[in-house]
Amino acid sequence: MEYVVETKKLTKKFGIEYAVADLDLKIPKGEIYGFLGPNGAGKTTTIRLLLGLMRQNTGTIKIFNKDLNSTRLEILKKVGSLVENPSYYGHLTARENLETLRKIHGAPKQRIDDVLDIVRLSDVGNKKVKGFSLGMKQRLGIAASLLNNPELLILDEPTNGLDPSGIIEIRNLIKRLPSEYGMTVLISSHLLSEIDQIATSVGVISKGKMIFQDSIEEMRMLSQQKISLKLDDNEKAWRFLSSKGVKVEPENDCLALVEQSDQEIAHVIRMLVENNFSIYRVEEEKRSLEDTFLQMTMEEKAV
Amino acid sequence: MISKLVQTEFMKLRRKGIWFLTFLGPFGVVALQMVNYGLRKDWFISQGTYEWFYYVRNVSAFTPFALILGIVILTSFMASIESETKAWKQVMALPVTKWSVYIAKYTTLVALLMIACLLLVIFTLCFGLYLGFDGNVPYLDIIKYSYYPFIAALPVLGLQLWLATVSQNQGLPITLGVLGVILSYMAYFLPDWMIWKWPSLDNAWDEPLVNVGLGLAVGLGIYLIGMIDFIRRDVK
Repeated sequence: MEYVVETKKLTKKFGIEYAVADLDLKIPKGEIYGFLGPNGAGKTTTIRLLLGLMRQNTGTIKIFNKDLNSTRLEILKKVGSLVENPSYYGHLTARENLETLRKIHGAPKQRIDDVLDIVRLSDVGNKKVKGFSLGMKQRLGIAASLLNNPELLILDEPTNGLDPSGIIEIRNLIKRLPSEYGMTVLISSHLLSEIDQIATSVGVISKGKMIFQDSIEEMRMLSQQKISLKLDDNEKAWRFLSSKGVKVEPENDCLALVEQSDQEIAHVIRMLVENNFSIYRVEEEKRSLEDTFLQMTMEEKAV
Repeated sequence: MISKLVQTEFMKLRRKGIWFLTFLGPFGVVALQMVNYGLRKDWFISQGTYEWFYYVRNVSAFTPFALILGIVILTSFMASIESETKAWKQVMALPVTKWSVYIAKYTTLVALLMIACLLLVIFTLCFGLYLGFDGNVPYLDIIKYSYYPFIAALPVLGLQLWLATVSQNQGLPITLGVLGVILSYMAYFLPDWMIWKWPSLDNAWDEPLVNVGLGLAVGLGIYLIGMIDFIRRDVK
């Protein structure tokens, strides 16, 4: 597989505290890579390292198969980014803000109208950014990151501060980028639901360490299901099944089956029916990705 | 690349009243002499000092003070434009080197200050002509006394820009800056090695060029140290 971003043993320390530790980040070309982690897990630090805003203590970063430290300028020409809160010059208009960046990229003037149009800020292009709402500033930041038509787009929590319709708009925009412009996107978030809806690959970071990295499908597989049974007499059924050596756990007003193979379930149900238990419900309870994510990051804390 | 960055620096200064400030500095210095000569013209004549020579030196008495004040305000201004919304990270994520960003800031400041000095030359000349002194107009003298203090103030410029760009907030650079302004005001009592004395062009050898030379050399040194420190640090 061709990776646009590849880090090896990336480590960044602040004092004695490890912000990022031995991180192996791999972003395949043309994917939307969701970079997930709780607040303070090291997402923004990693992104800053990827942009050369900080220097790592150890480890290597390769972007477009080139070493970041030695070919930073060449790489950054093809990278667009929005890091943390959007930066802007409040006393300038949206257009002037973009102009200060366009000049350095050397992009054509037309590009400013294009990106303003993409994020739907064309109407307010000549207004001072000072008066913009947070959502509008965020969209201006995204517009700025698209100015140079990047091959790699790095967005750090891009939907922060947006209203629901704004979030959907940005989400649809990001989804379009790989197919329409051949971009690879790195998008960080602390909200799994956000990532779940747009990402094709996922990396989960906790306390500076990568604890999961694969396609989103693999992550969904991880969220195992659970079978819960509701019976006329849960207590009795629990005792009966336990005596037969079946592992069940009482849970509120039902029983949860730990074993999940089809034969196992059929076997348990047959036993229950044959012993005159009335079965009200057999339900498959999917553990949400949210739970999986929470569990992953919790496990990390417990260690 | 640097010229593009300088162009963007000037774009960022729009609507911030920087040009007014650039005008106000030299105008204020000459305006003080308008008051001085308006009130005491007869006294100057009675002393036999109603001449170009003394006029130029009277004007330059307030130049260091205005210059240092201007440097402090401008440097903090230029740094705060970036730090207000943490725009440093946006600028540095562009395909530009850190040192070129620093050079662009410095170049912009030098350009603004040189324009202020040019205005000082013009204002000094105009009011001098209005006063109608005898003898030839000492053009070279006027230019020297406008630009020498600026060159001698380069170390202060380097120091203030360095502090302003690496400080999280502008409290420290402004405090030091105000202190510098006060020091430059009492330059006469300062030892020769203090950089805040240099713009006054006063020294033990009574030779302004010593201050100019020192200003250039030390100014360049502090400029380089500031730039290296700026490059070394992680972007805020």
